[in-house]
Amino acid sequence: MIELFTALAISALFAIGVFQLLRRNLIRSAMGVAIVSNAINLFLLASGAYRGEVAAYANLAGQTARQPSDALPQALILTAIVIGMGAFAVVLALVYVLSLRYKTSDSDEVKGLRH
Amino acid sequence: MTNEFLVVLPILVPLTAAVIAIALRRRHEVQAAWSFGSMLTSLVFAVLLLADVWGQGRPLVFQLGGWPAPFGISLVADVLSALMAVMCQLVLAGGFLYALGCRDQCAQYPMFYPLFLLLATGLTGAMLTGDLFNLFVFAELLVFAGAALTAMSDDRFGAEAAYKYFYISLVASIALLLACGSLYVSYGTLNMADLARRIAADPSPPLVLPAMAFLMVFFMVKGAVMPFHFWQPDFHTAAPTPVHAVLSSVVVKLGIYGFFRMTTLLFPGQAELIRPVLVVAGAVGVWFGGLGAVGTYDAKRMLAYSTLGQLGFILVAIGWGTPLALAAAIVYAFNHSLLKAAMLMLAGSVASRAPVKTAAFDVITGVGKKMPLAGVLFLLGGMGLAGIPPLNGFIGKLMLFQSGVESQAYLPLAVIGLAGIVTLVYVMRAFQRIWWVPMPAGAKTKPYGDRLIAPAILIALSLALGLWAEPLLRLAYDTVAWLSVPEQYVRVVLGG
Repeated sequence: MIELFTALAISALFAIGVFQLLRRNLIRSAMGVAIVSNAINLFLLASGAYRGEVAAYANLAGQTARQPSDALPQALILTAIVIGMGAFAVVLALVYVLSLRYKTSDSDEVKGLRH
Repeated sequence: MTNEFLVVLPILVPLTAAVIAIALRRRHEVQAAWSFGSMLTSLVFAVLLLADVWGQGRPLVFQLGGWPAPFGISLVADVLSALMAVMCQLVLAGGFLYALGCRDQCAQYPMFYPLFLLLATGLTGAMLTGDLFNLFVFAELLVFAGAALTAMSDDRFGAEAAYKYFYISLVASIALLLACGSLYVSYGTLNMADLARRIAADPSPPLVLPAMAFLMVFFMVKGAVMPFHFWQPDFHTAAPTPVHAVLSSVVVKLGIYGFFRMTTLLFPGQAELIRPVLVVAGAVGVWFGGLGAVGTYDAKRMLAYSTLGQLGFILVAIGWGTPLALAAAIVYAFNHSLLKAAMLMLAGSVASRAPVKTAAFDVITGVGKKMPLAGVLFLLGGMGLAGIPPLNGFIGKLMLFQSGVESQAYLPLAVIGLAGIVTLVYVMRAFQRIWWVPMPAGAKTKPYGDRLIAPAILIALSLALGLWAEPLLRLAYDTVAWLSVPEQYVRVVLGG
């Protein structure tokens, strides 16, 4: 059951994120980047979420027969969250500069390099 | 086995140097000298690494933190990785030298050199890593540094170029993460050697094909291959000269490196699916880039389109996939890195002498009359790009056409052979506009411009490699011999 909900959540986040990412509004497309990167984080989590029963950090050597969960996807997500936050910050900074320079939030108006 | 540290040094030296360079930000001369010195040190280590790997005939592996593969992160230097690392560091050092002598305002900013060193770290790391997720981290470092360096350009459209570059690279990184997740679900590992072993043993999981597609999207965006190229010409019009000289020549080689790894290490069994895509994308790119370069209004933009075309030749060679074609691709890639960096630097130095700082043809018409040395270098570089002896470009192109005849791929051969003429057309057109046509009346050049030492060194190197090509050819053939036996790579990384 939880698998189905996770899959639905990933697909919904992806759909919303990609839709926003393709909008003309610069701020909305920046939001799209953030939403898609969260969808990716959830996807990476799902790749290891259903293995093992005990948290990976619990030190239960010899006390239980239950299998510890897979720690690697969690490490990947932590890294991806940090990098995603940095990327989102840089995108917002660039959008800020663009909005000052071009006085618009419409990406079609940002065309100084096209002749 | 202290040699193993050679693998980590070309990454660690620029990274440490960048941190120290930030601390030195208040004293610009000291910071510049320190940064250039550490860049050269790093280049020396990369050359030592290549010499060691090539001389001993085995890859060097460094397991980060002492964790054995596949549990930790492995840095792997086989001949291909080491050669690519040397190529990158060579051009990066050239870019650094250009930045030291250039009159751009942005090279005076306190964060310019640290960011340049971070760019070097990301690029070298991405070439040397043996782990897909680690590749993502290094690629992000590269993109962050590259976008920041572009955004601080003197050109008022720098921020727009940086936005386009950063945004499309983010989408590429998303594709790489999707590939990582798909492969991890299927095989429970992200170590490239371990993946290669497991994919060869059992290629049946349903997510393998999507993972291949996502990886191809990532490398195509990185390499500015034809359908994913659109950020590239805009980017090159606005970025500072030392930055785009590096980005157009070696950073796009990350995509080329990735295709080498995909077809020979990760998915040799499924390579029949990848290769036709590469041949078609390459052949289309050759024409698209060539014609785009002929029809453009700006010297730097012309060279950016020319990169699309030249990468097309390399992609076609990887797509043919015979040993001779792969060797040709390596030689061609090495030579294109040197020449394209030099040509972009020359265009940048011409722009720095122009009345307004731009490389648009109607502004730089006749500016070259005052700089004959740059003209000679530009002509030599153009001959190299078009594949005329005595430059190294001729050898790469000759090998490429030989391998085409050998694999009897006459249609793509005819397509890219004809496109080779287009290269000559646009290079000669630019040369005429800048060095032959008299300057419009009333226009004045600036008395001083960027120094020409960096492009001169790169062109001289290319000329030397054209006249004495034997070592590079032997290196390329040895690399291909290694690539054809992925089991050796797997065995060395995983131990035993």
